[in-house]
Amino acid sequence: MNRPVAWLVVVGALAASAACGPRRVDTARAAGPSTVVLLADPDGTVGSAVVSSAAGAGMVDLSGDRAATTVAARRPPSPPTTVDAAAIEKQFGQTLATLPAAPEAFTLYFRLESNDLTDDSRALLPGVLKAVAGRPAPEVGVVGHTDTTGDSKTNYTLGLDRANSVRTLLISAGVDASLIDISSLGESDPRIRTADNVLEPRNRRVEISVR
Amino acid sequence: MTGRSCVALLIALLTAVPAYAQAPAPAGRVKLVSGMAFVVHEGRQIPAAVGTPVYEQDSLATGADGRVGITLRDDTRLSIGPQTTIEISRFVYAQSDSQFSFVLKVVRGVVAYVSGRIAKLSPDAVRLETPSAIIGVRGTRLVLQVAE
Repeated sequence: MNRPVAWLVVVGALAASAACGPRRVDTARAAGPSTVVLLADPDGTVGSAVVSSAAGAGMVDLSGDRAATTVAARRPPSPPTTVDAAAIEKQFGQTLATLPAAPEAFTLYFRLESNDLTDDSRALLPGVLKAVAGRPAPEVGVVGHTDTTGDSKTNYTLGLDRANSVRTLLISAGVDASLIDISSLGESDPRIRTADNVLEPRNRRVEISVR
Repeated sequence: MTGRSCVALLIALLTAVPAYAQAPAPAGRVKLVSGMAFVVHEGRQIPAAVGTPVYEQDSLATGADGRVGITLRDDTRLSIGPQTTIEISRFVYAQSDSQFSFVLKVVRGVVAYVSGRIAKLSPDAVRLETPSAIIGVRGTRLVLQVAE
């Protein structure tokens, strides 16, 4: 093969690979603008969100109910406006209606240094079972907690024992074991803040979330 | 190494293996679905049904009439409308070692989001991404749309 022909082959191969190879899709160019709308919770409280341009072109804070911004590719987010409720219903109503029901929370308390439930808390178990029965594909998260009496390592174990004993109760009441996940936060996430080595019945608890 | 410590090591290894072999816990599950909707798990399209698990790095996609609602392990709730594609890019919820992260990519379509415990325990750990925007969420409820 003489030299010019060889060059042609190389150029041709490069052109073919550029045309036929996997195309890089620039998603920022392919997609239209993004619109973000902050909404109040059903109880009326409103959180906040920080919306930034993915290209680093600026940011805005959203802080009120129905506060909205639109971000086009490589442009700063538009100044926040308030969208009316009817427009939100039209654009997002069906999607909002598809949100699963809010998880239901239960707190069960324990006797001192033990994994025996108090009588009052034992009486809450039927409510937990009812919540499980009333949901599609129910799951149960069980997190054990302790007060600050004793060292943190022992309390981690005690928290796990408590979560386990609730798991056992739920299983014996008919909840499928595979639906339950357990963990322990020991003394690290008290409901009532105390100094170290303080007896506090309200911290000796298991928090259950039925979702 | 003494014979006894060899045996101890062997036992430790043998008991460690099942822990690794165990499937990872799903990030969440489908709770509501209507119309055409899929979970894309390791490249496979699985029709979404009530109870279908959704793992970190899975995508959800809907057709013209599809809608899906899922609840994640930290009580985060998400729903998507028709012609929507999202990806659970990152979901880390390890309470015991305070490791939290949630990154949701919205490729196209309509999404509703209600924050869960990750946003409560570690607000900076939650990020929603669209092709043109990055949203940091300090709670709790928002909707977003990525236009075609």
